[in-house]
Amino acid sequence: MQELNVVGKSVRRKDALDKVLGKSQYSGDIKLPGMLHVKVLRSPVAHALLKNIDCRAAESLPGVHAVLTAKDIPESNTHGIIIKDEPVLVMDKIRKIGDPLVVVAAETEEIALRALSLIEVEFEELPAVFDPEEAMKPEAPKVHDGGNIQSIRKIRKGDIEAAFAHADIVVETSYRTQMQEHAYIEPEAGVAYLDGDVVVLRVSTQNPHFDCKEVARNLALPLNKVRIVQAPTGGGFGGKLDISVQIYIALLAIRAKRPVRLVYTREESMLASTKRHPYVIKYKTAADKNGKLMAIDVIVIGDTGAYASYGPGTLTRSAVHATGPYEVPNVRVDAYTVYTNNPTAGACRGFGVPQLAFAHEQQMDMVAQRAGISPIQVRLLNALRPNSQTGTGQVLETGVGFVETIEVAQAKALEVLGRIC
Amino acid sequence: MKKRGVGIGCMWYGIGNTGLPNPAGAFVDWKDDATVSLMVGAADIGQGSNTVLAQIVAEELGVGYEDVLVTSADTGVTPDGGATSASRQTYISGNAAHLAAQEAKKVVLEEAKEMFGVEKNQVIIRDRRVFVKGQEENYKSLEEVIGGCRRKGKMTIGHGWFNPDTTGLDGETGAGSPYDTYAFATQIVEVEVDTETGQVEVLQIIAAHDVGRAINPLQVEGQIEGGSTMGLGLALYEEVKVLDGKIKTPSFATYLIPTSMDVPTMHPLIVEEPAESGPFGAKGVGEPALIPTSAAIANAVFNAVGIRITELPITPEKVLDQLAENQ
Repeated sequence: MQELNVVGKSVRRKDALDKVLGKSQYSGDIKLPGMLHVKVLRSPVAHALLKNIDCRAAESLPGVHAVLTAKDIPESNTHGIIIKDEPVLVMDKIRKIGDPLVVVAAETEEIALRALSLIEVEFEELPAVFDPEEAMKPEAPKVHDGGNIQSIRKIRKGDIEAAFAHADIVVETSYRTQMQEHAYIEPEAGVAYLDGDVVVLRVSTQNPHFDCKEVARNLALPLNKVRIVQAPTGGGFGGKLDISVQIYIALLAIRAKRPVRLVYTREESMLASTKRHPYVIKYKTAADKNGKLMAIDVIVIGDTGAYASYGPGTLTRSAVHATGPYEVPNVRVDAYTVYTNNPTAGACRGFGVPQLAFAHEQQMDMVAQRAGISPIQVRLLNALRPNSQTGTGQVLETGVGFVETIEVAQAKALEVLGRIC
Repeated sequence: MKKRGVGIGCMWYGIGNTGLPNPAGAFVDWKDDATVSLMVGAADIGQGSNTVLAQIVAEELGVGYEDVLVTSADTGVTPDGGATSASRQTYISGNAAHLAAQEAKKVVLEEAKEMFGVEKNQVIIRDRRVFVKGQEENYKSLEEVIGGCRRKGKMTIGHGWFNPDTTGLDGETGAGSPYDTYAFATQIVEVEVDTETGQVEVLQIIAAHDVGRAINPLQVEGQIEGGSTMGLGLALYEEVKVLDGKIKTPSFATYLIPTSMDVPTMHPLIVEEPAESGPFGAKGVGEPALIPTSAAIANAVFNAVGIRITELPITPEKVLDQLAENQ
């Protein structure tokens, strides 16, 4: 490859000095004159009809500047990265523990917290569903009106039945993967203030232009009157793609006519942020006696919790990647995105592929064992190479370095472990 | 008894959103003194996109890395870069920044062509010097050439945007070309399983990643090490426990992530099979780094003690249960 002057060199990161010297101003470090502090009241129940919220005592507490509920959202009161199915503040139905009900801006965090404790919420609990396979049944409590199966992504290639009928080796296994927290070092945070008639936000985010659209839509503002400036951000891993503090602080800065800041505690971050989708994977592999893959038949059920977030995108990516980096002539995948009353799952580093890799890589080892070849051999035998066709029928002409990664890793294993697998 | 095992995990990962448009834009302003302002929507969340994008622009313009100042992720001044997700910013915003730099460079090359009286393709810009191919000693400074542009009223600015060439997936068959390029990886891990306690310790991780082109090799290695560590957490420790919708592990006292004590010896290995459509061949690495780790660990546990753990995380309880069942 061509030797270049700057590309390919390990130059010092642009942010290195500020970070090691502690100069970076994260959202939670920003203090603005007259700044108010924001807290969010959240639902303690997983599924309920919201009957009434009484904010009068909170509003009359000295030091409280604004107490807002769903009826204070100028327009839409929805957000969502793929489907706008999540309320900014719940209007009528609670779908998970942690659903936001009221936001308060006050002189101090302590006053804001005291105000929250004075708010009276009436709700009528509904039967809830916490298991995605239960949720798929027609009689299950409905999280959203459209039913709990939010979407299905299908992949169909070749003739599955014929391949399994002729296979020498069939490996069938069920896998389960867990809910994972992103665990970024910095919880969600942001400040908002007015600059003339532009509301400016400095926030911890992975998705500033999306944030801008969601804030503008809910506040009924033109896009150029909302300015999102990403503050130095202490990690995201997919968990800061969705809306967190943005709409609350923009709305409160306008209503209170004062700069505001909202910093989630770690517990609130855990409660309110998205998670990695827990998966149920039913994976069936067919191969000939030499270990050459003939077919896969896969069902994936992803629990997206109360709201879709990146759910359909995650399950779609899982479906496409279900073959692993291998040539598989016959493919059937059904990937379900399912609503439950669990915490919302969304984007999380790997986006549905780590779950599938956990399955297809164990399948490959089991195929190898049955075929009497090594784990490396079964992978080389089936590897995607230049001009291979994927499960979706795409021909990968160039840029396929898979075999080289196997060879390089194998050589290193021999060197440092004295063996390969 | 402690038993060691070795396992392999492989992965592929399509760069960018799946079968959907997901463009990114960039603006370049090449200033009188040859320093550069680069404005990109891409949010740097610690993964290092500001650094990598500056490198791409510096390479194209023949200036130093330090000459490029990046303003990123400010909707008031930067074009939309899309989300920092899908391992897409080096590839997509990288291409946008590259195109923006090329547009600004065209103006400077045009001016140099006239100054030197040669064809544009004979002009080279390197280390802030402009010269004709083969006549490096007879150079003009970049400031001088940009000054020439200014005297004619020409600005040296550029914009660029890039959207990967994909097709949507068919609703019934899923057929389509959902990504323009894919990253690949193989990880081999060594584990030690304590058959008395069920504890799995990862001793070494070998992680070979095809990143197309490592724009910044140290950052790529950092991503591989960080991602593998997150994959280790997914494999062995991390689980948000939920009972009736309530999170029972709401803090780091109960939600366990790997600490530095849990991080094994790492061997990050960079493989460069260029993406034709990538900036200088680059793909992405942010997510691929964690994808195969839990699979490799599960296979290594089987190799060590002959049990298949099919539910994550691989806790000591599950290992002991399986060992007992195998007896």
